[in-house]
Amino acid sequence: MILKLAIRNIFRHRARSLITISTIVFGCVAIIFIGGFFEDVFLQLREGFIEAHTGHIQVYKEGFTQKGRVEPFNYLIDNSQEMISLIRQLPEVDYVTPRIQFSGLLSTGDNTVSFVGQGVDPQYEKSLSKDVGEDLRKAYKEGVKEGVTTLKIGQGLDSHDEYGVILGEGLAASIDAKVNSSVTLLTNTVDGSTNAIDTKVKGVFYTSSKSFDDIFLRMPLKTAQKLLNTESVQSLVIKLHHTDDTQEVRNTLKFLFKKRHFNFEIKTWDELAEFYTQTVGLFKKFYLIMRIIVCVVIVLSIFNTMNMSVMERISEIGTIMALGTRSKGVVLLFLYEGIGLGAIGGAMGVVLGCVVVQTISCVGIIMPPPPGANVGWLSHPMIVPRILLSTFVFSIFIGGISAFYPAYRASRLVITDALRYR
Amino acid sequence: MALVEVKDIFKNYFLNKTSLEVLKGINLKINQGEFLVISGPSGSGKTTLLNIMGCMDKPSSGEVFIDGQKTINMTSDELADVRAQKIGFVFQNFNLFPVLSVIENVEYSLLFKPWSSIEKRKKAQEALSMVGLSEFARHKPLELSGGQQQRVAIARAIVREPLFVLADEPTANLDHKTGEGIIALMKKRNQQHKTTFIFSTHDQKIIDQADRVVKIWDGEIQL
Ligand SMILES: Nc1ncnc2c1ncn2[C@@H]1O[C@H](COP(=O)(O)OP(=O)(O)OP(=O)(O)O)[C@@H](O)[C@H]1O
Ligand SMILES: [Mg+2]
Repeated sequence: MILKLAIRNIFRHRARSLITISTIVFGCVAIIFIGGFFEDVFLQLREGFIEAHTGHIQVYKEGFTQKGRVEPFNYLIDNSQEMISLIRQLPEVDYVTPRIQFSGLLSTGDNTVSFVGQGVDPQYEKSLSKDVGEDLRKAYKEGVKEGVTTLKIGQGLDSHDEYGVILGEGLAASIDAKVNSSVTLLTNTVDGSTNAIDTKVKGVFYTSSKSFDDIFLRMPLKTAQKLLNTESVQSLVIKLHHTDDTQEVRNTLKFLFKKRHFNFEIKTWDELAEFYTQTVGLFKKFYLIMRIIVCVVIVLSIFNTMNMSVMERISEIGTIMALGTRSKGVVLLFLYEGIGLGAIGGAMGVVLGCVVVQTISCVGIIMPPPPGANVGWLSHPMIVPRILLSTFVFSIFIGGISAFYPAYRASRLVITDALRYR
Repeated sequence: MALVEVKDIFKNYFLNKTSLEVLKGINLKINQGEFLVISGPSGSGKTTLLNIMGCMDKPSSGEVFIDGQKTINMTSDELADVRAQKIGFVFQNFNLFPVLSVIENVEYSLLFKPWSSIEKRKKAQEALSMVGLSEFARHKPLELSGGQQQRVAIARAIVREPLFVLADEPTANLDHKTGEGIIALMKKRNQQHKTTFIFSTHDQKIIDQADRVVKIWDGEIQL
C-alpha cells in the first residue's frame, strides 16, 4: 500500500517527475555511451597491440627482461623446437612463433642509419594488405589473425625469398629507400664478430606505433639467424585464440616449465604493453570522474524533487502518521519514491542508451591516431551488458541515496504540527 | 472501566521563552458507546485535548489511559500502533490521499490489520456502502464534493473498527446542511454499532445532537 502510494505520487506531478527522470535518463545514456566507447577503444588498442607487437604471451630465457637489453645474445633459447611443440599442445594456443631481435646499421650506400631488426617467421607474422589493415576490427572478423604489420607499398616477407626485408615507414623514409632498393645490413654476430648482408626492400609497412615504424625492419627468421650466426632464437611469441585465456595459459606454462626444469620467463601482453596499461588507466580515471559528475547531477535532481515533494505534502504526512504509520513507514514511502524515480530513469536510460550506442556504432566515430601511432581508425562503441546492468543498479541506488535525507526529514515531522500546517 | 481517561492534564507551549498554558488540569472519562461533543470558543484548547486523546501529542503533565493502557510513557512507534489499532480519525480538511482512489483511501486505514487483501477490499466496500458512496469507489477524492469527501473520511475511520473515532471539527469546512448530514451519519453508526464518537465543534445545532457535551473555556472544563 505504501509502495502504491509512493508510485502514484511519482506520477502526481508529471512534468516535474519527467524532468527528474530525463536527467537520470540523460546521465545513464552518457555513462552507457562513454562506457561502450571506451570499451571499444580498449579492445582496439589491446587487440591492435597484441596483433602488432606482443602476441598474448612471450617466453624468454630467465633474466632476459632484466639484462637482455645490454647483452641480448646471452639469453638465447637453444631448444626452441622442443618448446614450440610443447606449447602448441595447449588447446588455447593458436600458434607459437619464434623471434630474434638485434640492432645494427642499415645502409643504401648514400645513407646509413641504425635500425632494430626482427627476425620473424613469415608464415605466421604476415603483413596485412592496406585495405584490411585500415580497419582492424574488420580484419579480426575476417579471421586474419597473423596480421602484424600493414603494408604501405610493396609485398610482405616470404620464407622463400631469404634476402627480402620490409622496413618501417619512418625508417624507409630516413634513408630514402624504395621498394626494390638494395640495402646492406651490418651487425655484430652472437660471438662478437661483424657481419653484413645485402638485402632487397620488398615492402614498407606501418603499425599502430609510430616509434616502432621509425626504427624497425623485419626479415625472415632464417636470414636473421644467418646474419647473427646462430641457430637459437630470442623469444617465443604465443598467440591465443582468445585474449581472455591469457592468465590461464600463463599459469599452465609456468607449471609445465617447472616440471621440466626449464628456466624461462613468461610475460603476458599486459606486462609488455605498458602503453596500453597506462592509457587504459587514464581512460578509466576519466570515466570514473564522468560517473561522479553524472552521479552528483542525478543526486541533486532527485534530492530537489523529493524535498519539494516533502514540503508540499506535510499535512498528508501528518495524516499518514495519524492513521498509525510508524516513522519507518514514512521513510519507506519517500525512499520508494526516490528508488522508483531511479528505476524508471535507469530502465529508460538503459533502453535509450542501447539505441544511441547502436545507432552511433553503425556509423562509427572517426578517431585520430592514438598517441605514438600514425593510423587513424573507426571506433564502433559497444553495448556492454556489464555497463548496462551496473548503470541500472547504480541509478536505483542513487535514487535511494538521494531520497534518504528528505525521507528522514519527513519522518521527523511532529504530527500535530504537520496536521496544522497549511 | 472508561474507554478513554485523562487525569489532570496540563499542556504548555513554549514560544520564545514565554510559556503558554493551553490546558489547565483537565479530567475526563469517556465510556464505550458515548456520542460526545467537546465545545468551546476558538483557542480554548479543543484540538490540543483531542490530539492528546488521539495519542498524537503528549501532555506536559498528567496521565492518559486508552482502554486501560497508560500511554504517556510510550515510544512514538508504540503510540503509532495504538492509533492504528484503536482509533479512527476524521479531520476538518478531510485529509484524503489525492493519488489514491476512494476505495484505496479506505483500504489504507486497514494497512495494519492482519487481514488478506480480499478481506480488506470487502470491508472497505462495506464501509463505503454504509456512507452511501459505493458507486464512487473508483473515483479520485478530488472528484467528489466536500460532504462526500468527509463521508469517505468517515468510512476510512470506521472501517478499522476502532475503539473510538476522533473528529476535530468535522463540519467546519461544510455548509450547514451537509454538516448536519455528516453528524447524522456518525450518530447512526453510533446507535447501530455502539461506536464511540468524540468530536469538537462551535456549531450550536450540532452541539444539540450530542448525548454529552463537554465545554472547554480557556483550558478548563466548565461544569
Ligand atoms: N504547536 C503550538 N505551538 C504554540 N502554540 C500552540 C500550538 N498549538 C496550539 N497552540 C495554541 O494553543 C491554544 C489552543 O489551541 P487549540 O488549537 O487547541 O484551540 P482550539 O480550541 O482547537 O481552537 P479552534 O477552535 O480555533 O480550533 C491556541 O492559543 C493556540 O495558539
Ligand atoms: Mg481546533
